[in-house]
Amino acid sequence: MSDTPTGTHPGATTGHSGPEPGEPPRALYVYALLPDPGEALPDTVTGIDGRPLRLVGDGPGGPVALVHATAPAPYQGPDEDVRRWIVEHDRAVDAAWQLTGAVLPMTFNVLVRPEEGRSAEQRLLSWLAERRDELTARLDELAGHAELQVEITLDREAAAVSNERARSLMADMAESSPGVRRLLAKRLEMARREASEQLADTLYADARRRLAAVSEDLQDRRRAVRDPGETDVLSVSLLVRQDGIETVGRVLAEIQDEQPAVRIRFLGPWPPYSFADLGHGPGGAEEAPPGRAVPGLRT
Amino acid sequence: MPDRAPAAPAVPAVPSLQPTRDPRVTLDDLLEVVLNKGAVLHLDLIIAVADIPLIGVNVRAAIAGMETMLEYGMLRQWDEATRAWAERSGSRGLELRDGERLITRMFGGHRLTGEVYSGWRPGSVHLTDRRLVVLRREPREVLWEAELAELESAALETERAVGGEDRTRLRLRLRDGGEALLSAAEPERLHRELLEQTPGAKALAAADGGGGGTAGPAGKDGHEGHLWYHEPRRGGAMWRGGRGRLDAGGLSWKSPVDARPALVLAPGDLLGVRLEERDNPAGSPYTLVLDTPGGEVVLAADALPDWTGPLHRMAAGGTGQEDGESPERRRDDGGPHR
Repeated sequence: MSDTPTGTHPGATTGHSGPEPGEPPRALYVYALLPDPGEALPDTVTGIDGRPLRLVGDGPGGPVALVHATAPAPYQGPDEDVRRWIVEHDRAVDAAWQLTGAVLPMTFNVLVRPEEGRSAEQRLLSWLAERRDELTARLDELAGHAELQVEITLDREAAAVSNERARSLMADMAESSPGVRRLLAKRLEMARREASEQLADTLYADARRRLAAVSEDLQDRRRAVRDPGETDVLSVSLLVRQDGIETVGRVLAEIQDEQPAVRIRFLGPWPPYSFADLGHGPGGAEEAPPGRAVPGLRT
Repeated sequence: MPDRAPAAPAVPAVPSLQPTRDPRVTLDDLLEVVLNKGAVLHLDLIIAVADIPLIGVNVRAAIAGMETMLEYGMLRQWDEATRAWAERSGSRGLELRDGERLITRMFGGHRLTGEVYSGWRPGSVHLTDRRLVVLRREPREVLWEAELAELESAALETERAVGGEDRTRLRLRLRDGGEALLSAAEPERLHRELLEQTPGAKALAAADGGGGGTAGPAGKDGHEGHLWYHEPRRGGAMWRGGRGRLDAGGLSWKSPVDARPALVLAPGDLLGVRLEERDNPAGSPYTLVLDTPGGEVVLAADALPDWTGPLHRMAAGGTGQEDGESPERRRDDGGPHR
């Protein structure tokens, strides 16, 4: 993340060794936007570095921001600290999500700064007021929805079990000298890779279609395969209604059942991080087609 | 491809998988999603370091994604603000002059014809409302550039590529007598958009008569190019832009943001092809509907005839007559339009 030697933040209450120690907390670190819950979060929930959390909103019933006050400087430090901060960030977002069932989670390190005689809070409030209708609509859309992550990979050895070339190579290896065996092992690995890639293409389109049919939305995630013996088939984030999680699990169980070489990781439910773009500038949104044209292919 | 209704069977044949939130298993995924995803407040509000809004990985990923989308011609559907943002932030892209607007960009190259060396130099082709530029990113070099005002004519021509297949190229002539040959991922689209920007330039038919040729990398009876796919979701389908490819192996469609093709249709799975009047994001009044064993597949394209001919032939087992020019005019009662 950064080469700063310590992981403290200038606004932290301990160990002032950040860039400008003791700076007054003039900025607001934003965790999420949520509908006005009409009550505070329980005191047991704290933010990054145990900071007390506040809800900031421009009027009853409108969207509010979950924040803590801090110095106008980014959180940076050793990876270990960043990891801990992100877990704490997520915990705060999750608490808000449990309370209201709808959140627009922010990414890490979104800090509202003061400017030209206006405090960070004033600026945030007027932005919330300005975008009130749009944010309310977006939160309504996300209400009752969770994000799930699905990773499907193929065990290359298992995927090539019925592959002619792989089988004949294995038979040859059994009766070869160690030197030749090493050569054949390389060829076997290639044959297994090719067989897995072909199978992965077929599985991808099929699994994606079946998961899309039970999700409100889905997005590919780029992910390195963790296991060198596996081929990546599909890595997606799904936006699913809370009552639809079971159905996704059933589709995955069927996919597993149909193809023994498949390995599935199924994570969540999480607040909908991957579907929280605010529709301007960056946010990982894929494209903004002109409305959802005509609903419904027959699925 | 059997179609599965999402309805739950009374007795599930296989138990349902349960998602896990156990931090010991999911920590890396959580880090990745919080850093790369999540929303960002308006850039004017938030802390920036050296004028770059502090949204690190997120913004980098978004820019990378947008560069890809520009190259695929997907930003045509975006609102002006988003487009302007994407155009400004592609720091590795073309530096725009004041008031200059990027129209499109795609993978492509410039044919260098020298006394010592001749060859294709790959990069990306940028068309703005003022210039046509072929740019290489690494190491950064403008391979070729011309002001649109200087353009005399633009023609598509077919060239037999090294591998033996026919490729469509763009031949440009300048008022000062200069000439250039460009390659592009979608030469037809580049040609069309270039002429839209340059009304003064002549659209010459190519010397070989293949001016509108669709002989792309997919061979004689195939086609490859930008295609919209109406991808199903639980609550209704969504239009997504991507690249379609039609060849002897069937039809495939892939979005630049997906890992693999989301649509793979073998020739035997294509039972019928028809055109219907439905809303779509392409510039055509007709939407392309394919009948498959798994139900309808709905597509849209700017240049429909490029797709309908080969698709009809594929549906007829490769022997049918092409009748893609006479769409069945069927009213679409598919529900509320936007």
